[in-house]
Formats: sequence, structure tokens, C-alpha cells
Amino acid sequence: MTRVFVLTNHKGGVGKSTSATNIAFGLTAVLRRAGASNSRVLLVDTDSQGHATLVTTGRNNYGADDSLYTVLMADRQAAPQVLANCIVPSTWDENLHVLPASPMLEGAERELIGVAGAPYRLADPLSRIANQYAAVVIDTRPSFSLMTEMGLLAATDAIVPVEPRYLETVGLMSVINKINEVREGWRHPNLRISGILITKLDMRVRGHKHLLEELQSHSILGKLICGVIPANEAVSYAHHNHQSIFAYDPQCPASKAYAQLVGQLVRQMAKAGA
Amino acid sequence: MPKQSTRIDDLLASVTADLLDGDPQRFQDNSIRVERILLELVRPDPVQPRRVLPERIHFAFHQNRLTPTQALRELVQIVQVAARQRGRPFSSVLELLPRSDDDSEETPDVQLSPEEQLLRDLINLAVTIRDDGQVNPLSVVDVSQGVTRLYRIETGERRYWANWLLRDFIPGYDGDGMIPCIVVPSERSSVFRQAKENTARAGLSAIAMARQAALLLLAIHDYEIPDGPVSNDFYRQALELDLRGKREYTDVVLAAMGGVGKMRFSQIKSLLRLSDEALELADRHNLDERKLRPVLLLDPGVHAEIIRQIIDFKLTSKQVQELCEADETDQQESEEPNDIPTSALRIAKVAQAATAPSPHDVARALIKRTGDVDLARVRLRAIQKLLADAEQYLTE
Repeated sequence: MTRVFVLTNHKGGVGKSTSATNIAFGLTAVLRRAGASNSRVLLVDTDSQGHATLVTTGRNNYGADDSLYTVLMADRQAAPQVLANCIVPSTWDENLHVLPASPMLEGAERELIGVAGAPYRLADPLSRIANQYAAVVIDTRPSFSLMTEMGLLAATDAIVPVEPRYLETVGLMSVINKINEVREGWRHPNLRISGILITKLDMRVRGHKHLLEELQSHSILGKLICGVIPANEAVSYAHHNHQSIFAYDPQCPASKAYAQLVGQLVRQMAKAGA
Repeated sequence: MPKQSTRIDDLLASVTADLLDGDPQRFQDNSIRVERILLELVRPDPVQPRRVLPERIHFAFHQNRLTPTQALRELVQIVQVAARQRGRPFSSVLELLPRSDDDSEETPDVQLSPEEQLLRDLINLAVTIRDDGQVNPLSVVDVSQGVTRLYRIETGERRYWANWLLRDFIPGYDGDGMIPCIVVPSERSSVFRQAKENTARAGLSAIAMARQAALLLLAIHDYEIPDGPVSNDFYRQALELDLRGKREYTDVVLAAMGGVGKMRFSQIKSLLRLSDEALELADRHNLDERKLRPVLLLDPGVHAEIIRQIIDFKLTSKQVQELCEADETDQQESEEPNDIPTSALRIAKVAQAATAPSPHDVARALIKRTGDVDLARVRLRAIQKLLADAEQYLTE
């Protein structure tokens, strides 16, 4: 079964899109280097801001006919084919494909309220084409909205990026509860929390260091930490240049940290497939 | 820039080396695998010698002028017209299936048109898939390019169409629009493999065999096999080719054709000399090669008419041979320049006669000459057509 990673946190600015795009690129690059027969990765952008779409495809003006919005509005039977038609190549790698977001997604939630089966409008068609990919990575918007629920229902693995700040870590439990709620309440037992990803860590800041230690020593959360991405200016510059962090500066600390994380995810995938 | 990409490589290499953990084959999987694939991502092979749909629909579909559902709707409409003409109209395609409580449907004098038979077979297959699931996966080749995912059918086109019928035309479908497929790596796909799969199954028409032979010949002579639909002229290029120039492939080609000999291979390939219309009719009605062989002696302009007579009168290969040899003699006679053939003079003489023979005598005479009622009817119909055409000349 294709692993579908969703990057989710209702708090904004924690690095969801940065992590989603770099994980997606890292997965395809590492799988190809490992000689995998299928190293294609699909990045699904469910955030109407379309940042992940912009940096990976060079544009964010997708609309009613060529974006995730089109898929959500499509007839149920036609939706898988519509989804396949809306996928575009990324400018980062020939094997990294993108289902782009659209500003119209903002209105999609309103349009879909009350529509039967609305929360499954991404999961259903995606499940029909997921096996064409080695992995799928979903970027979500910073809220507990219908769109986020759609992302969670389509996923097998949730990764929660979190900044090591007091309020963010306090909110962490509500994110985890939300994921559990989707798993139990929506009867989606395949969804598991794959890890907490600490982002923008600055060891020079005493508060960061302290919170990291607290999280690491926590009996449950400590075990869930899957990676620590240091704060790094190179990430912003990479965004500015519409490049992955690996391409912008392969030797910067953030590149190395994301490479570690990707390696860990690929190892999990290989173990599950064995 | 090269320096930067080297650095990315170094970074990824460090992760990958760790992942592979001394097992370089760990992620490599080039095995043939079975997958469930979205029906829309699968397409029949336009060059496949065995054509499932009638030619007009086949071309329209492969030129992307029809979707799979529209192609099937066209087929259903053709069958509806044919069925109405035969006094058996239907509103639901399921009515084409013989009813278990109605023996009259299976009476031997009920003749289905090829399209009716095709649709009936597809519906039967679709209902079996609906009720029992699809036991045999299709075999497909991954021909995806970039973000466009696409799998080309190597074998199983009938099951593909049956699945579309099931999805869009038959009530009670509760599937998810996926179809089980054996995905053959593109490097393992070849015309030889496809030919073996085709010839190993029963029901490949003589014309499909001829196309198959042509494809093999074209492949071993390094002709490029197009991705889109091809006309008969594409296959006819093989008429100029033979196995002699490619002795190293002789055995593998003959084996792929089901173990036929060189002579038989040549006879099959020669069928491509038939006119386009004759090829289509012969393919649709699944005519045997031995019935078609004598037709090749005639002028291509009359091929289709002779094939129609073979179909209408269910002529045996012996009868076809007699018919064609007689026609060939007529043709040779008429080739004398500025000279009216003897046969034409004979007809004119009959027309001039003061007392016309009785119909009974004409019928008896024809049977006596041809030795066969069916052949006599063929001859009579030919004269009817000839007289009508002659009258047309007089009018003009």
C-alpha cells in the first residue's frame, strides 16, 4: 500500500509547506538513488494559499479547471480521472508530481458543506491512483477545517511539524487528539501518527532548548519525535528561489536534517513493504 | 551548478548508503506484478492485430474522437438498429442475453450479426465479472510519460470493454472503477510476446493473423511501430518483406505465429492483399484463410462483393474456389482490348432471343452448371447486378 504522509498542524508558520515539499522531493531523490522501480512522489496541496504549489511548480494561479478544487467539485465517478488530469509536473524533479492548490479552495469548503460524503472527496479518488506513486505527501492548511479533515482521511501517516515554543507545544496535544478523533470517529484505522517534527530549532535560544528537552523526556511525545530541523536562513532563500533546500544548499544544517528524516521515512516504507 | 549538484548527490548518497545497508537490491523490484489500476488509465493497443470493436469505432476511439463510453454507446446503437431490423428490438443491453426460461432464443436459425454477437459476448463477460469478479487480470505495459499515467493493454482487451460496459451500461455495478492488471515492465514487452499471447488463444481471425504476421515482419525489419491507430497500408508494407532476409528471426517469428510453417506464414500474410472493405468484412465475420485465398486471384475491385457472397451464402472453401476461378476466366477474357468478351455476347444473345427460357429451366441449368444450389444463387445474383449496371450504362 502506498504511504500517504500528511503534514498537519492548526498553527500557522510551523513549517508545514516547507517540510511537505522537501520531504516529497527527498523521497523521490532517495528512492531513485536506491534503485527503486517506482520513485514517483505526488505532492497534494490542500492549502488555498498554495505556497507548496508555488515553490514546486513556479505558479499559483491554478483555478476551477486544473486544481484540487476541480477534483473536489467533480462527479464522484469521474473524480479519479479528473484528479489524474489535474496533476502537473514539478520544476524540481521529473518524478515529483503536484496536485496544485487553488485560491478557490477557500470557497470549496462552503460549497461542500452539507454535501454527502464531502470529507471523502479527496480520499476516494486519491486511493484509486495512489498506487501509481511510491508515496504521497499532503500539505494542509493551518486550521481544523473540512479541507484538513479531507487530508487526514486520505492519509496513512500524520507528521506534525511543531516549533519549540510554549504555545505551540501546548497546542500539540490538540493536534494529536484531532488525529485520533479522525482515526476513531471516522473509522480510519490506517491513519497513524508517524511523528512529531521539531522545526526551526535554535539551540541558542534557551526556551527552544528547554522545550526540546521537555518534549524528549515526555513518556509519549518523546517517542514520537521523528526529526529536528534547525532554524536556517537557507530555507527562506530556497523558497525565494523556488528550490528545494537540498538543491539550494545541500550542506546547510536544514538539508542534512531533512535528509535524515527522509532516510528514516524510506526505511519505514521499505520495512512495511518487506 | 555542477558543483552544487555534486553536493546534493553526496548528501543523498550518504542517506541512501545507510538505507541500503549492504543490500543494493533492496529497493529494486523489476518483477511482473499485479496491480489494481483505474480503468481510465488503461488503453487498448491501437496496433493490436485482434480488433474487438468494429473498424469505424476502433479508429474513432483510437483517434480520441470517442471516449470508451461513447465507443460502446455507438456499438450498442449499431446493434439496436440491427436487432430492430430483425424484429428483436431491445431497450436494455441485458435483453441480449439468452433467457434461461426461453428456448426459442437458442434455435439454430437465429443468426446474430457480428456486432450483435460481439455485444452479447461482452455483456456475458461483464455479467460474469459483476457476479463472480474478474479472475484473470489484463496484462498491460506501463507507457506513462511524465505526469500522464497510462497503461497499454497487451492482452485482455475484451475484459477491458466488458468492465466499461459493466460500469456504464449494466445496472448493479458496485465496483470502484479499478481493474486488476499484470504490469509488464516496458523492457519485457515485445511484439513477439504479444503474438504468442494472441496465437495461444482461440478465435484469432485470419485477418488478425495476417496483421500479426505483418507486425512481426515489420518489427524484425526495424520498422517503427506507431503509437496510434494504423491503416491497412501500414500492415501492407509487410507484403514487400519476407523472412529470407532475416534468417536469425525465422524460428522465433514462426513460433510466435503458433508454430506455423513458412508456406502457411506466407499464405496468411498474403491476405493483406485484399481490399480494405474486404479485409474489414472478412475480419468481422471471422472468415477462414482457405476461403479468402482464392479471392486474392481476383481484381481488388470485386473482393468485397465476393466476400459478401461468401458470407451471405455461407460458401465453403471449395465453392469459393470454383466461384473465383470462373470469375478469373471472365476477367482474363475481358482483358482483350477493344474486344467484347464472349460471356457478354452470350448474355446479349439471350436478351435478343424471341422466346425467353422459363425460370424453372434457368434454375435447373444453373444448378447443372455449378453443381450447387448456393453457387447457383450467387451466380444469379451476380447476373442481376450485372444487368442492373448494364441498364445504368444505357441510361447514361
